[in-house]
Amino acid sequence: MRALHPFTLCGAALALPALAWLLPAPWGGAGAAVVALGLCAIGGEGSGVKVWRAALLTAAPFWFFLFLLHGTAGMLATGPRLTTMIASFLWLIAVLPPARLIEAMVAAGWPASAAFLLSATLSAVPALRERGRRIVDAQRCRGLDTRGGPLRRLAALRALALPLVLSALHEVDERALALETRGFTPGVRRTPLAPPRDRVAERALRWGLLIGCVALLVWRIA
Amino acid sequence: MSALALEGVTYRYPATRTPALADVTLAVNRGEVVGVIGNTGAGASTLLLVAADLVPRVLGGELEGRVTRTGRSALLLPTPWTQVSGMAFTVTDEVAFGPANLGWPLERITGAVERALVRVDAAHLAARDPATLSGGELQRVILAGILAMQPDVLLLDEPTAELDPVGAAAVWRLVREVAAEGAAVLVASSDLDALPDGADRIVWLAGGRVRAIGPARTVLSEATLWTEEGPGSTAIAGVWRRAELAAPFPLTVDEALERAR
Repeated sequence: MRALHPFTLCGAALALPALAWLLPAPWGGAGAAVVALGLCAIGGEGSGVKVWRAALLTAAPFWFFLFLLHGTAGMLATGPRLTTMIASFLWLIAVLPPARLIEAMVAAGWPASAAFLLSATLSAVPALRERGRRIVDAQRCRGLDTRGGPLRRLAALRALALPLVLSALHEVDERALALETRGFTPGVRRTPLAPPRDRVAERALRWGLLIGCVALLVWRIA
Repeated sequence: MSALALEGVTYRYPATRTPALADVTLAVNRGEVVGVIGNTGAGASTLLLVAADLVPRVLGGELEGRVTRTGRSALLLPTPWTQVSGMAFTVTDEVAFGPANLGWPLERITGAVERALVRVDAAHLAARDPATLSGGELQRVILAGILAMQPDVLLLDEPTAELDPVGAAAVWRLVREVAAEGAAVLVASSDLDALPDGADRIVWLAGGRVRAIGPARTVLSEATLWTEEGPGSTAIAGVWRRAELAAPFPLTVDEALERAR
């Protein structure tokens, strides 16, 4: 499944929730949810069960609150749709490494700035987490107590957030300089390093999904 | 002809009146390594930003005077974690970031990346995620990314700041090699012990002005380096001076041993 073009994977992950909401409830949503959960189970490459379980565990509270608020009928109508959204998203994360998506975007001629926005956001998460850990360690060394009741934890959070945000802002200038000096200037046409293969069949499938969703929308509105 | 030339350059950062650089004139030739020394705030990093055409173009500010450079310049900043592209999830792709932005064909990029990684002794890191590297490893990877772009003017700001002594010595050897291949190298460093052998000439900046410029050994032997606005000289020269031994001070251990004998 990882051999599929990133745009095909994104197309499927977008089409499934769209179909879940466009097809009549409850069977349309239920069918889409089964497909999405099935993709999770087979698409995780070694971690399929983990992805499948994560999707179900994330969806479970939604089912519970839907039952409390809307009763059984409401739960059965909306629950599978929300499950489809969650499962599709988790499946996409599991099967699509960000680097492949970025290469596909660059190869397709998207602006390098758009690819940067996506990848920088994704790569910023572990970097910020690591920096946050260092700041917590530093604050603890200076006597900050991060354990205890909610109020104490809230106070500790402020001591963490402020240096984290300020240091991130401070880095912006240096990051801009570093990108410029490495040739990442506005309007740059990057060479794709590993452009993924985009087969005719996959392009047809993507168009098919788009046309199908639009046709379904027109049918439901009419 | 100089690969990099600054003539009467004065630069002020945005919203400041005091110039960070004042009337700086300097030329760096191909094949030459010029070291920049000075205390904190002397203007060494700003000089590199001007040389790299990053100020006022990116950071703003006011530039007077004339800067000319032939060919492509690339700058290594002292903080490797702020120089990670954010678009690469392996070290290979990180090093390839610059060459890919230059629009080179894939074969040329692949060759340049492999060579650069070998040169900084980081070939074994090729498949690693840059986010998992130590400071020293990341510094070498970013340097490889700069070298892979094959710049004509190589600008280095504290290139050994994150490195252990062995790694630092390797970088200084590499700087010499890159210059020998025809690049002009301007390197700001507080690693004064490396400069007698690492640089051909030295520029001493104080308060944004050039206090001295000349052959590395001549500048590093100046007595005024030990005044308040000077950064001092090499550690061995410092020991010699504190011991009140006869001037001129030796600049390296080998020279001190020679003198002691």
